[in-house]
Amino acid sequence: MAGEVLIVAEQIHGVIAKVTLELLGEGRKLADKLGSPLSCFILGHNMDSQIQRVIEAGADKIYIADHPELAEYKTLPYRRVILDELDTWKTPPHTLLMGSTTTGRDLAPRIAAYFQTGLTADTIELDIGPYEHKAGTDKSKIGYFPECLYANRPSFGESLKARILGPWKDPQMATIRPGVFQLPAKVEKDQASVEIKKIAVNLKEEDFRVKIAKILREESTKVDISEADVIVAGGFGLGSQEGFKLLEELASCFNNAVVGASRKAVDVGWISYPYQVGQTGKTVRPKLYIACGISGALQHRVGMQKSDCIIAINKDPDAPIFSFATHGIVGDIYQVIPEMIKQVKALNRQTVSV
Amino acid sequence: MSSNFNNKDLNIYVLIKQVPDTRSKAGVNADGTIDRAKAGKMLNPFDAFAMEAALNAKAMGGPNSRITAVTMGPPPAVDILYQALGHGIDNTCILSDRKLAASDTLATAYALSMTLKYLFKRDGNPDLVFCGLQTTDGDTAQVGPEICERLDLTQVTYVEDFKIENNIVHARKVIEGGAMEVEAQLPALLTVANSYKKLKFKTLRGAKFVQEVKRSEKLQKEFLEVVDLAQVGADDAQCGLAGSPTIVSMTWKIGTVGGNCKMHQGKSALELVSEVLSAESNLVKEFLKV
Ligand SMILES: Cc1cc2nc3c(=O)[nH]c(=O)nc-3n(C[C@H](O)[C@H](O)[C@H](O)COP(=O)(O)OP(=O)(O)OC[C@H]3O[C@@H](n4cnc5c(N)ncnc54)[C@H](O)[C@@H]3O)c2cc1C
Ligand SMILES: Nc1ncnc2c1ncn2[C@@H]1O[C@H](COP(=O)(O)O)[C@@H](O)[C@H]1O
Repeated sequence: MAGEVLIVAEQIHGVIAKVTLELLGEGRKLADKLGSPLSCFILGHNMDSQIQRVIEAGADKIYIADHPELAEYKTLPYRRVILDELDTWKTPPHTLLMGSTTTGRDLAPRIAAYFQTGLTADTIELDIGPYEHKAGTDKSKIGYFPECLYANRPSFGESLKARILGPWKDPQMATIRPGVFQLPAKVEKDQASVEIKKIAVNLKEEDFRVKIAKILREESTKVDISEADVIVAGGFGLGSQEGFKLLEELASCFNNAVVGASRKAVDVGWISYPYQVGQTGKTVRPKLYIACGISGALQHRVGMQKSDCIIAINKDPDAPIFSFATHGIVGDIYQVIPEMIKQVKALNRQTVSV
Repeated sequence: MSSNFNNKDLNIYVLIKQVPDTRSKAGVNADGTIDRAKAGKMLNPFDAFAMEAALNAKAMGGPNSRITAVTMGPPPAVDILYQALGHGIDNTCILSDRKLAASDTLATAYALSMTLKYLFKRDGNPDLVFCGLQTTDGDTAQVGPEICERLDLTQVTYVEDFKIENNIVHARKVIEGGAMEVEAQLPALLTVANSYKKLKFKTLRGAKFVQEVKRSEKLQKEFLEVVDLAQVGADDAQCGLAGSPTIVSMTWKIGTVGGNCKMHQGKSALELVSEVLSAESNLVKEFLKV
């Protein structure tokens, strides 16, 4: 029988991250296809309150490591605990998944290199299916594999999708982009039917080579830009904090609309972190995304490219955002946005009058 | 503790890769795929940040600190090593071998680790190894951490800023929802985020030096080391296709949003906005606040 489908949970301040729940939802489907249990590793300190959430997201087995040194993610202690545990397993997990977050991308390659197994980065689709390796220079790889992890990811500037697989060795590993899988519906299961196991924590001196001096993280407050229908996002091109006032005025013309921002605008302090869109911010999928003075760097793009319609305003005709926006306006924000506010307001009056 | 510990000479490495140049239209097929043979080549843009980090680290070390740039790739990839020399990198090394073709990240990390081990053995233990955050062609951000696992270097990824004091790297790194400041022991491998400082321009002296090296075989021997798998003692079975646990089983085109962006330019703001709003009038009206 195939090994377990294992999700390594991420947590921030003791709360399981959304991406972990998304992975549990998707992992459930893979586990059902394989007829294997869906497992979750939780590392942290005082995490017991989170067990119920993981059960509700579909896990059959929970492995929990509790230690003050695990309260915040650190490469070496996390690596140690996970590898120590997996080394005791007779059958390795069939599949091992993490989010392609700053944590997953830091830790998953360590696990993959340790087991000398494959790891697909930044996956957007997962499945289990057969593969036949017919010919090739390496004869030892030839064979029929009925149950491979299919990890599909964009490649070459996102115009191609590639299916990557590695059935020769378990665990078959992938990191998954946050926000691409739906949160699972709540699974009704009582805690007694779920196997909960404690993982031993035996850290060594060499695991303390990195010390955390300070964490600069703003709590995400009530703002949830991922629920908005219209997002008016501003970037470094706004030039100042004042620019966001203009964007707010445009946003206020629409229902369920908010402002959003690029990381650079957040970094310089014009707007706070909960408004950030992108790889290290939120993944959003509004009906309309208006990008103002945003260059369209990959880390921003991955957080908003699934928007139904993207209107980009940038004064540089070669800005990368014009390679994937729906409409590109080449112009100065401070001319275009006031004009847009004016015309949208006029439209509004028209709509009312008819 | 000696007081001039701060000025310890640092033995620094930076890993750089040549990637297809996607900025130019050459070699980019109509469907967006890249024809690697036709495409121009460039230094992986993320590795320019790693190079700047290595140069700044060198300035924090003693007077005999040195940087070696290392790449794995086909012989023409020496272009980026010349580029490195022009920016003031002291030495360079390229691992080139036909058996490296079709390496995935595990096999790449293995081959680069073996190359680094070979250099460490000859030139002394490392203090710092810098990597770019990710490549624009592989786009995995995995090679750096996989090398850490093999060489047991202290790992700090997503570094945005750092300084070195008393054998400790004080680094600021990107994390979900913010940043983290860490103190890491040497020897360490740092992957450098693109929010780090931009690579400074080549100096005139650097550019002149590159010209000299290009003309002189003797200088090439001294500053551009070419090695193959046998020389670095790598096991062929762990390299290239044979050593890669993953394969690409199929590829297909995807329609990204927009993809063919409708451009509006060269008109007054009034015209530009009205063009876009009338093209999307249904959408706009749907969400208009009344
Ligand atoms: C690990 C990591 C994670 C990251 N995560 C994220 C993330 O989650 N989200 C994110 O957004 N970024 C993220 N980034 C940063 C990302 O790489 C880019 O640096 C950032 O998105 C750039 O922001 P920007 O487009 O606002 O600024 P810039 O790239 O500086 O672009 C500004 C644009 O404004 C235009 N402009 C200037 N003035 C005007 C004007 N008057 N009118 C019109 N246009 C004008 C310019 O032409 C330019 O294109 C991350 C980076 C790293 C390394
Ligand atoms: N062939 C290579 N030669 C030298 N360095 C590489 C190579 N491939 C990857 N790297 C390094 O590893 C980083 C991450 O690459 P990747 O994992 O491919 O996204 C790059 O920015 C480089 O610093």
